Amino acid sequence: MENERENERENERENERENERENERENESKIQKNDIIIEGMDIVRTFRMGEVQVRALRGVSVNIRRGEFVAIMGPSGSGKTTLLNQLGILDTPNSGKVVIDGTDTSTLPEKEKGKFRLHNLGYVFQDYALLPELSAAENVYLSLMMQGKSKAEYESAAAEILTAVGLGDRLAQLPSKMSGGQQQRVSIARALAHSPIILFADEPCANLDSETSKEVLDLFKKFNTEYGQTIVMVTHEEWHAAYTDRVIKLKDGMLEQ
Amino acid sequence: MLEKAKVSFFLAGRSITRGNKGITIFTIFVLTLIFVQLVLFSSMLAGVTLKFNELMVDYQTGNVVIEPEEEQRYIEDASALQKKIESLPRVIGTTARLKTSGNFRYKEKEMGGTVYGIDPTDESFVTAIEDAIISGEFLSRPDRGEIILGREVSGGFGALMESRSLGGVEVGDTVELTIEGKTREFRVKGIYTTRYFMADASAYINRADLEEMLGVENQDLAQEIAVRTTAGTDEYETRMALLSLGVRENIRTWHEFAGILRLIENTLGLIRNIMNAIGLLIAFVIIFVVIYVNIVNKKRQIGVQKAIGIEQNVIVASFVLQAMLYAGTGVILGYCFMRFGLVPYTVAHPVDIPLGTMSLKLDDAEAINRAVLLFLASIVGSVIPAYKLAQKDLLELIWDK
Ligand SMILES: Nc1ncnc2c1ncn2[C@@H]1O[C@H](COP(=O)(O)OP(=O)(O)OP(=O)(O)O)[C@@H](O)[C@H]1O
Ligand SMILES: [Mg+2]
Repeated sequence: MENERENERENERENERENERENERENESKIQKNDIIIEGMDIVRTFRMGEVQVRALRGVSVNIRRGEFVAIMGPSGSGKTTLLNQLGILDTPNSGKVVIDGTDTSTLPEKEKGKFRLHNLGYVFQDYALLPELSAAENVYLSLMMQGKSKAEYESAAAEILTAVGLGDRLAQLPSKMSGGQQQRVSIARALAHSPIILFADEPCANLDSETSKEVLDLFKKFNTEYGQTIVMVTHEEWHAAYTDRVIKLKDGMLEQ
Repeated sequence: MLEKAKVSFFLAGRSITRGNKGITIFTIFVLTLIFVQLVLFSSMLAGVTLKFNELMVDYQTGNVVIEPEEEQRYIEDASALQKKIESLPRVIGTTARLKTSGNFRYKEKEMGGTVYGIDPTDESFVTAIEDAIISGEFLSRPDRGEIILGREVSGGFGALMESRSLGGVEVGDTVELTIEGKTREFRVKGIYTTRYFMADASAYINRADLEEMLGVENQDLAQEIAVRTTAGTDEYETRMALLSLGVRENIRTWHEFAGILRLIENTLGLIRNIMNAIGLLIAFVIIFVVIYVNIVNKKRQIGVQKAIGIEQNVIVASFVLQAMLYAGTGVILGYCFMRFGLVPYTVAHPVDIPLGTMSLKLDDAEAINRAVLLFLASIVGSVIPAYKLAQKDLLELIWDK
């Protein structure tokens, strides 16, 4: 694994175009480091379970800056996943607003939300959520294909990003033939393939052993520092927090002061 | 638009190539059977119709029949007209017939049937009755007082309506024939079967005998002249040729005699339509169930696809495409099975049916029509479950167990 990462770094160094892109992104991120990219205002989300109302979020306001790597933490049931889903517009709050990069997503119709997710957001799920009938590369380029990119474009982009996560030699492999850590790396590659504004990850390491978790977190860190990728990650583990710039603490659906 | 279609095709293709092969094979197999079922009845009907027409032309009408002018009972100067017609290059032969209904009697049994008075030599140029003799011999010109019976009249020889028949008349026996009140005895010279019961319920005697019984001796009268033309001659052209010869009698092609058949066909057509409707309903239900099961298993995947921004229509279309591909494969396999398997088989080995023997006849227009219907059923059967599921909230799709 160490060797793999070594190779990968070397590959990157050799790749001039990659470097250019990297520099560009870095400059960009330096200039805009302090922009607020997600503005969550007074988000309330309640679920109805039969007669009972579950108040998962009771008025949460968060700001996330461009280029930040933020962790959302808190006890089980405190509303972490729910908050992430609101910020990632996978769900709609009962009240409050989520403004992403200047777009008020609460006013978008369902179809536009889908488009917005396709072009601007990336997701990493706890259980990888890869499509089992698609190979690693196909999983990664599906969203690029949907965006209307050409075959040459999406294939090379998928190969590039999979190489960056250390799976350059497994493009054609099916998820069922991969370890958990490899699947999670494919899922990260998929989330990043279209250069999203923000990457959302809900307990991405929950199913991985600590060694593999470390690799995944290193990967996040790499994309965060080298490309200025904004990341919002839900986690349980205190030691994960060390990788992040900031921790948002939740308790009973509210920010912990 | 194009990229959406591309993604749908991509997802459908991967689902087929990498999905559960067992389900795919099963679905295609069932759709193949449904398609075969949809075209089988039509093919049988077409086969029966074809056979029916052949029998009619071969044993009864020839290609064209000339009948008396309006309001006339007989064609006059029949032999002169026959000569005139036989001068046409495409005419192989003509036969002038008298035709009436009569009552047969043998021992205690009686039955009614059609009696033809023919010139045996002429008749053999036009129809194949002579070849249909299964016992005894066909008439010859000088034979008087002799009769040829169809097996439905004589009974025996595998007659279908044995109980209605005279119950086992054999060659050499004598039967009584009553026509318009006159009764005469005839010796049975031969028994024939066309294997088609309606044509087998008749009898043939010499025209002179029938003239005598009808009281029209030596007047050269006929009730119909059947004309046989060379193979492949268009009946309407023959009619035109006859008209330009100055034939003033009523000219009818064999098609016009297929009227009763058309009635039967229409009745059977109704049954066929009902069977088609049932077949399509079954197809629809099976496609619905297969796609539904397939989709429910993919709930989570649909949710994930929606999450990453794949449009709902694209997801639905991917399932519909899959169903269409199943239906298309089923149609092609079913068509090949019929065209290159079952139809040639029944042509080589005709099936025995009450009408005689039958081979299937596959009509391409009908097959296309059934294929389209099956396609539509597969579209509807897949759109409904796919749309219902893809419309659900994506978090529900992802997290519902
Ligand atoms: N779809 C739903 N329907 C009903 N209740 C829900 C739903 N989703 C979440 N909840 C409830 O909302 C509360 C917050 O849930 P959430 O999943 O956000 O917690 P969490 O902090 O992510 O917990 P965990 O650490 O266990 O993942 C919980 O009480 C949960 O039961
Ligand atoms: Mg959670």
